[in-house]
Amino acid sequence: MAKNKKWTKEYLVNNFKQNKFMYLMLLPVVAYYLIIHYWSMGWLSISFFDYKLLKGFAGSKFVGLANFDKFVKGLNFGNVIGNTLLLNFYSLVFYFPMPIIFALLLNELKNLKFKKFVQTVSYMPHFLSAVVLVSIMNVMLSPSTGFLNGFLKSLGFDSIYFMGDAKWFRTVYVASVIWQETGWAAITYISTLSGIDQGLYEAAKMDGAGKLRQIWHISLPGIRETIILLLIMRVGNMINLTFEKPYLMQNALNTSVSEVLSTYTYKIGIVNGSYSQATAIGLFSSLVSLVFVLGANFLSNKVAETSLF
Amino acid sequence: MSEIVKVKKLMSRNRETTGEKIFNFVNVVIMIFISLIVLLPLLNVVSVSISSDKYVAAAQVSFWPKGLNFDSYKTVLESEKLLRSFLNTVLVTVSSLVCSLIMTCLAAYPLAYGKFVGRRVITLLILLTMWFSGGMIPTYMVINKLGLVDNLISLILVPLVTAYHVVILRSFFTSIPSSLIESARIDGANDFTILVQVVIPLAKAALATIGLWIIVGRWNEFMNPILFLKDYKKYTMQIVLRDIVLASSAAQYDIVDESKALAEQVRNATIVVTMLPVLIVYPFLQKYFVKGVMLGAVKG
Repeated sequence: MAKNKKWTKEYLVNNFKQNKFMYLMLLPVVAYYLIIHYWSMGWLSISFFDYKLLKGFAGSKFVGLANFDKFVKGLNFGNVIGNTLLLNFYSLVFYFPMPIIFALLLNELKNLKFKKFVQTVSYMPHFLSAVVLVSIMNVMLSPSTGFLNGFLKSLGFDSIYFMGDAKWFRTVYVASVIWQETGWAAITYISTLSGIDQGLYEAAKMDGAGKLRQIWHISLPGIRETIILLLIMRVGNMINLTFEKPYLMQNALNTSVSEVLSTYTYKIGIVNGSYSQATAIGLFSSLVSLVFVLGANFLSNKVAETSLF
Repeated sequence: MSEIVKVKKLMSRNRETTGEKIFNFVNVVIMIFISLIVLLPLLNVVSVSISSDKYVAAAQVSFWPKGLNFDSYKTVLESEKLLRSFLNTVLVTVSSLVCSLIMTCLAAYPLAYGKFVGRRVITLLILLTMWFSGGMIPTYMVINKLGLVDNLISLILVPLVTAYHVVILRSFFTSIPSSLIESARIDGANDFTILVQVVIPLAKAALATIGLWIIVGRWNEFMNPILFLKDYKKYTMQIVLRDIVLASSAAQYDIVDESKALAEQVRNATIVVTMLPVLIVYPFLQKYFVKGVMLGAVKG
């Protein structure tokens, strides 16, 4: 490739003959990518039309940026963007430090069997589906039969409708993220921690440093770069929020706080059938998120570079 | 050498200071607390599903069943609609596993060993999808145009080849000594034979990892089914669980009726049945999963 071979007809024919099986293997793969991924990217163009499913492109009017305009100037714009950013921001503040703390503490466990047990248990929630997770929350937090409210009542408090009250939505959401992802997200930190030279700890111990100081002066600096990289990634995804969990946790009582970009797109497109409008919203959020992610990547490359030298 | 031994002996003699003892004790307590926080909600769900009405209605069941009663499972297992959705999910998961693994191999092999014209373009074509995709509505439009709305094939087709899996498998393939492949080629084997007889047997660990990702991914999938399926006969377990526990449309399954006893237990039993397959394979999974995360981390 680097040698800049001349692509003569003879060369091409020979290359094709030699690699015919390679091309044959790639044929279904390329077909899949073209149909599912690139054809769907082509469909993004309906965001510039007033597309009607029954009329097709020929019968649909080109409207330029009107669909974007309608979304940006619409009543829900500030609310939807704000909800998306706030949920991500609270997750960043309250969830992001959890895997770090968990990994640091787990790293200090002496009994390897117990360590393995705690680790195995902590991964488990990661494999539960969004539906299972929200269902568990729903039955456990139910105001009438839920265990948590039964507990509150036995202590003399009033029961709280956690899943229905808009005030509680963000708290419950972030708590569920912490419950589900802390153990799994800690893996990266745990593996980095295991690479730290054990001699450093012994030397620190000789100098009379206690456990907490060892963590502060050896473990934490050891995973500093991993933390910074993951933090940048996280900020890069500020505008992204999966569809499933907010959608499943949404109900008529909490839409004011639970309507985020992905659920709003679904509602406009699939529920209301305004495909063009919904595609415009989707395209808008992908473009904004692309800028965020590329910016984050640029930053993390800088960090990686500076750490190399 | 002897220096190190001396130091180690010294270390082991005065191994734990009081401060360390306190730290270790508190740490173990914290870890037990964390494990309980993870396990107790799951225990609560299982306990409620097998407790009797009196205690469930009064929200008195915590982490141990009260007044054992397995009728909820009888109701769940006898429901034809639930059984059908269970079979749908198994069907999608198994076919997806087979199709996706084959396709990922077909993508990874040429990209690992091929020196053909257009390799870079095809690599780029695949990798770009990690960064940019059409998104929800455009994907729906494609499935609609293909006539696959309300067809279980759509659930297998849309996530058929994941770029990330191709990257992982390709990097695993390139770690196989190329002399093996060259000698097979000299023996006259074509690329398909080499893939099946030489490469795949050596890549079992990587294929197991990716396979497990696919299984859990398909089993847990919610967005694609809710986008593409309209007919309840095609529903997968996740949608049925959503309907029974979260939505008000539980009545159509005629197993949860607020006027009937057992409603709450049946809800919990459905949760257990939906998460059980993943939790059963979980101990086997986690070794491979962790390995896979490392693979990804190394490649960046």
